[in-house]
Amino acid sequence: MSGFKETLKDAVRQMSFRTSLESLKKKGVQQVSVLGIDRIIALIEAAVHRSLRQHFHGIEREAVADATKTEFLRMLRSNEDLQRQKSEVERQKERAEEEIDVLRRDLANQQQELNLKLEQSAMSVASRYQGENAAIAKKVADVLRTLSSSENLSVAVAEEKVMELVMDVVSSERKAAEEARAALRDREVETLQRRIGKLNESLGQTERRLQEVAAMKSIDGGISSIYRDVQGVAADDAHQGKKKELMAEIFKANLKLQRKPGA
Amino acid sequence: MSDSPKKDHGVLYIGMDLGTSRTSVSASNGVRETVYSVVGYPKDVVSMKLLKKDVLFGKEAIERRLSLKMFKPLEKGVLKYTGDAAMDAEAKQNLKAASDLIGEAIRLAKPRKDELVYCVIGAPAEASLKNREAIIEAARAHVDSVMLCSEPFSVAYGLEWLEDVLVIDIGAGTTDLCRMHGTMPEEADQVMFEIAGDAVDAELKRLIEESCPGAQFTMQMVKDIKERYGYVGEPSERCLVELPVDGKPTQFDLTDQMRRACSILIDPILKGITKLVASFDPEFQTKLKNRVLLAGGGSMVKGLDSAVEKAMKERLGSGKVIRIEEPIYGGANGALKIAHDMPAEFWEQLK
Repeated sequence: MSGFKETLKDAVRQMSFRTSLESLKKKGVQQVSVLGIDRIIALIEAAVHRSLRQHFHGIEREAVADATKTEFLRMLRSNEDLQRQKSEVERQKERAEEEIDVLRRDLANQQQELNLKLEQSAMSVASRYQGENAAIAKKVADVLRTLSSSENLSVAVAEEKVMELVMDVVSSERKAAEEARAALRDREVETLQRRIGKLNESLGQTERRLQEVAAMKSIDGGISSIYRDVQGVAADDAHQGKKKELMAEIFKANLKLQRKPGA
Repeated sequence: MSDSPKKDHGVLYIGMDLGTSRTSVSASNGVRETVYSVVGYPKDVVSMKLLKKDVLFGKEAIERRLSLKMFKPLEKGVLKYTGDAAMDAEAKQNLKAASDLIGEAIRLAKPRKDELVYCVIGAPAEASLKNREAIIEAARAHVDSVMLCSEPFSVAYGLEWLEDVLVIDIGAGTTDLCRMHGTMPEEADQVMFEIAGDAVDAELKRLIEESCPGAQFTMQMVKDIKERYGYVGEPSERCLVELPVDGKPTQFDLTDQMRRACSILIDPILKGITKLVASFDPEFQTKLKNRVLLAGGGSMVKGLDSAVEKAMKERLGSGKVIRIEEPIYGGANGALKIAHDMPAEFWEQLK
């Protein structure tokens, strides 16, 4: 019995709320009446026993008291289960939110990195071409100077011929180099795009999971019935026979209605 | 309910009174709820975004009716449903509204997912076969097993009055009288007519229009006034109400109009009682006259029990009328008791 009292005491404690004297004062409360938890438990117990004494006798009273105690403990455990489920759902929600934050940050970093690489690539190509062209021009000028020292040769003709030759070589070189660089760049872009795609998919999945968790949180657990098993007409009911007949008639009518083809 | 988890926690019994005006539920977890039998669906995408719901019920739907397509799926005590394969779109929508309403009523009972849910629905005594099938189909989606029973019968069963009792169930659409004599009532034991709550509202509306020129009001306002002041016989208070006239609230005394409107219930009830008493075994007629139960929302009209009793004494020589303690939940409580008393094997067979 003392174990049950402790459980009752715990239940009263769980249902109570804490407040400070300051907050009570702020609400305009000047004085409070204090009722100890032991006193509350004693009152509940006395009320239950008095009620049982008035309505039941001997063994019946003990049976009802035991059944009530068992049911009370069952409801308490059921309440604790619900609390645990609620906490678990809240933890899941927090984890999902953290995951989303990490994924969002990761996605933003990847996008920044891609933009930077694209910009750097464009700039390096331009500067490389400038250097190459200057080197070619210098080489051509050197060649011309050499040719000009020769007799019986028009300089213009010589320069034109040399330039044609050089540019032909250079353009083919450029083409090959450009193709190689483009292929490399495409591979990098493709890799980054694939990574972004995966991150987007992962973000979508996490957001969906978060929505599911949020929906789970709003599910009402419902209220337990007072019955563990199917009941039926009580054995000590004064109208037991008549009621059983009436139940059978209602059932027959419903069986006929519900077993109809298409019903 | 087929995708529910293992149902090993217990058995929840639900008793439901599916009425034209209100749908009430009583459950074995102590929940008792009532909802106006009104269903509203958002008119367009804008109203759906605003309301954040696909469907609204009862008072909430009435309050938001300007953004909703409204349905009252029951009329004169039965579903607005013909059962024809070629029924029109309106009838189909009414059937969906009825199904949604039954689902909402069961949700209001707060069933646990791990409990078996067994439900008994009190249906109007005169409901057609197609109507009963439609109710069963709508409920099956939400419970493990369901049964229908006659509404007046469930009221009497709930009060354990099983023999020689006459139940008068005054709903919104119909008034049902049922004679109980220890067995299931048959057709000859029942009388139904359409002078009920809605007819009183219509009569009161007519009388207000006639006597209060310029007063503006809706049917819902008339219904609210009746529920607050409805009476027959001697008034216990003046029926003073404010109605707008050209936008200005103006007070009207509707005491006399209220009495006249509510009094239209008495005569047809008396005719019904007379018919059921006169066709009963003469040896038990006196007992039957002295065990008349007044139930349903319409029985909340003040003084109606005394007025019917007085009229019975004048026409039938004697009579004793008892108004049930909870007119709104009388049917649901009785259905709950039937659900409780139904043996396990019967529930199992109907799963």
